[in-house]
Amino acid sequence: MKSTQYSKKVLDHFRNPRNVGTLEGDDVAVGKVGNPVCGDLMEVFIKVKDDRIVDAKFKTFGCGSAIATSSMTTELVKGMTLDQAMQVTRENVASELEGLPPIKMHCSNLAADALHEAIKKYRAKMQGEEAPEEGAEAAPAECAIGKDEYLGKGVYLAVTNPEEFKEKRVLVVHTGDKSIETAIQLTENSGRVVLLTPDMEIETSKKLRDDLDASGVKVLYQSKLLEIRGQDEVEKVLVHNLNEDEKYELFVDAVVLME
Amino acid sequence: MVLDEEAMHAMREVYLDYQSSKPVDPRVIDEMTPYFHDLFGNPSSLHKVGDVATEALEQSRKRIAKFVNADDDEIVFTSGATESSNMALIGYAVKNKKKGNHIVISEVEHISIHNIAKYLVSLGFEVSTVPVDQYGRVRVDKLERRLTDKTILISVGYASNEIGTVQPIAEIGKLARERNIAFHTDAVAAEGLIELDVEHDNIDLMTLSSNDIYGPKGVGVLYMRKGYRINPLIIGGGQERGLRSGTENIPGIVGMSAAADIMGKEMLSEVERFKGYRNKAIRHILEDVPDSHLNGHPTERLANNAHFRFDGIEGEGMLLSLKDLGVSVSTGSACTSKTLEPSHTLIATGLVHEEAHGSLQLTCGRFNIDSDINRVIETIPQIVARLRSLSPIYSARRR
Repeated sequence: MKSTQYSKKVLDHFRNPRNVGTLEGDDVAVGKVGNPVCGDLMEVFIKVKDDRIVDAKFKTFGCGSAIATSSMTTELVKGMTLDQAMQVTRENVASELEGLPPIKMHCSNLAADALHEAIKKYRAKMQGEEAPEEGAEAAPAECAIGKDEYLGKGVYLAVTNPEEFKEKRVLVVHTGDKSIETAIQLTENSGRVVLLTPDMEIETSKKLRDDLDASGVKVLYQSKLLEIRGQDEVEKVLVHNLNEDEKYELFVDAVVLME
Repeated sequence: MVLDEEAMHAMREVYLDYQSSKPVDPRVIDEMTPYFHDLFGNPSSLHKVGDVATEALEQSRKRIAKFVNADDDEIVFTSGATESSNMALIGYAVKNKKKGNHIVISEVEHISIHNIAKYLVSLGFEVSTVPVDQYGRVRVDKLERRLTDKTILISVGYASNEIGTVQPIAEIGKLARERNIAFHTDAVAAEGLIELDVEHDNIDLMTLSSNDIYGPKGVGVLYMRKGYRINPLIIGGGQERGLRSGTENIPGIVGMSAAADIMGKEMLSEVERFKGYRNKAIRHILEDVPDSHLNGHPTERLANNAHFRFDGIEGEGMLLSLKDLGVSVSTGSACTSKTLEPSHTLIATGLVHEEAHGSLQLTCGRFNIDSDINRVIETIPQIVARLRSLSPIYSARRR
């Protein structure tokens, strides 16, 4: 079966997704799940009254089945008690959609997981608990393997001559406002600038934040530089995605590690 | 009821995935047809019927040789490009392993080359992979740095079948010749779009496919320079000078050579037309869709290839939406691949997974008309906007 050979019902929910959007309020909780290997990220919002889900919405980045399963899940759980909704499984969602291609069963059928997470968050909230903090503490950049070895061969501790970065793909490690300014400045000369930060958000002034958003710098959140690799010079880096606990290689020509 | 022209175009299925498959040119079919029934002989037979088949085979060989500026006896017919590449890499490496065990390929090879390289590693060969720049172009200085006295073969595809970036083939060919290393190129993505000249580019081994020049599927060619040796992979009755046994597929071979003949005459004007389509698509889409980007090289790219990525959305959704509108395209998204891995080519250009997922590939070809391009230019902005309205990533980025 082709990975895009979808049932009529899947296609219907892809073409006309139900319950797209977000919800806000004290009686609302959101569950987020994602798998970057497959390229899916889902947010399921539930609004609860008297232990019953009175409204559900979603936002999804993903393939056709990711959108359809999100739509179906939010449709299914409206009116359910939280206990009932906890019983909804990926398999239920798939069968309501008249099946999914086998290869899509586990990668893009995550909406039930997002729903369960939303319910857990809601219950924790009702009991006055803070949701467990996601993300990780900023790790010092100098942990990266290869930093000294590639110094002068693509690793820079400061940017003195932006011309050197012409047409290059540059990775800047977020070590404070100076590194953000450098990243923004480099976009004028470089082919591509990636800013790597272990945090979930970048804490800085509103102005710098706005400049960063407008700059075209690609920000990778919750990510840590593990290792610099290449033959005789920087050619790629090993990045650790802290959220997914996944390691992957990113091709770059230069790494800026400011003190 | 007679439909007016506009209504006809609205109903027309728009095919913009020529990179994946091409229709056989009707003129090619006409040349092939007699060889299925009337002229059905086996070139190995010594009678008159066999002689006719031999004549067709050798004429076809001449036409292909002319197409790539080679000699007749440097052309070996195969069952397709995959077989040709297997012969070139495995056949050459195994035959020449006494000279060395090191092979160099690039990060942006067609998946078949990467998989053949993996197989060679299992046979004890060492394979180095050369990185590319942000446009997917092989860095020749980096390639040179990877050559050792054990290197026997360099294999770099003429152009990327995905992002359309054309490689500095003549430069790599020159380097390989200077270092006395065999140079193989998989020219499938480039054939019919770029004039192939094995002499000018110092190519020693070259993979060609028939379908990519509007010939029938199931036929290909390995060009092998005189004086080079490979181990055959298919052993049998000794056809094709013992390099590729099996009774020759005469209708297919005639078809491929007819396709090459037509291509030789029409390529230049066809390429100009494709460039018009390509440039129009690139210009409009980059202008009309916010946060859209061109993948691949801005100028050193195949005339028929436009490859985009759109922030915050996923390629399969675009593909399905365009499918609903009768438009066929490709995507670099993992969700449409067998392995669920995103395109290795896009990753090699420095993109992260989430960006590679948002890619869309348009490749035009001989049977496209102006209105085909207009259809995608008109529809893509709306499709991207709809999928972005569903996406948590895109809204987060705009906040």
